[in-house]
Amino acid sequence: MKGIPTVLITVSPEVSAQMRPPRAIYPKGFKIGNSLGKPGMRELQREVLRNALTLFTEDTRPGQVVTREYPEYGEYHEPPRVKK
Amino acid sequence: MSISRKCVPFTPFEGELSKATVALVTAGGVHLKDQEPFNIADELGDLGYRVMPEDVDPSQLMVTHHHYDHTDADKDINVVFPIDVLRDLQEEGFIRGLARKHVGYMGYTMQLKAMYEDTAHEIANEIDKGSRADLVVLTGG
Repeated sequence: MKGIPTVLITVSPEVSAQMRPPRAIYPKGFKIGNSLGKPGMRELQREVLRNALTLFTEDTRPGQVVTREYPEYGEYHEPPRVKK
Repeated sequence: MSISRKCVPFTPFEGELSKATVALVTAGGVHLKDQEPFNIADELGDLGYRVMPEDVDPSQLMVTHHHYDHTDADKDINVVFPIDVLRDLQEEGFIRGLARKHVGYMGYTMQLKAMYEDTAHEIANEIDKGSRADLVVLTGG
């Protein structure tokens, strides 16, 4: 097989970056358990998924996590840090 | 198939999203209610995975995972497993459609080598064989 293109939606960007994902998006400030947003926020969920899928057609740097901001989420949660 | 440890396993996509079929693979512990739950009693974690069909009914899904708060996913599975969201994007023509198979596993294990060398390969092969996925969206909890 030749491989399958993937994109990761992560709310733990530092942790995910350790695995050097081919494409990844971090919805800034979303808490763990809310990768696409909050329950019922369907338009926000659609926007996050559209933005994730759009990374397949953009020039991204493999291994890098792209940060996107969604003010409509309405909260900011500090993501987990990698212990050094 | 082997997964390189040294370089990023980047597979290019040269098609169009509007012609692509998409599969979901989540580490959020999502599975069908009538499938065997993940084993949260084992401190080493559960290396298994569950396959969900294209026409899966979200009301028949549940989460078994004790390393994140899945209260919100219990209310709306789309916050970790955006199956209805994917259907919306199909309807609006953003993507062509959903793959025949989607996968859930419990993204917690102390058996990292086995997860990396066995489970990850099995999931990739599952998607590769018969799912008709052009692209995969990965989500955590």
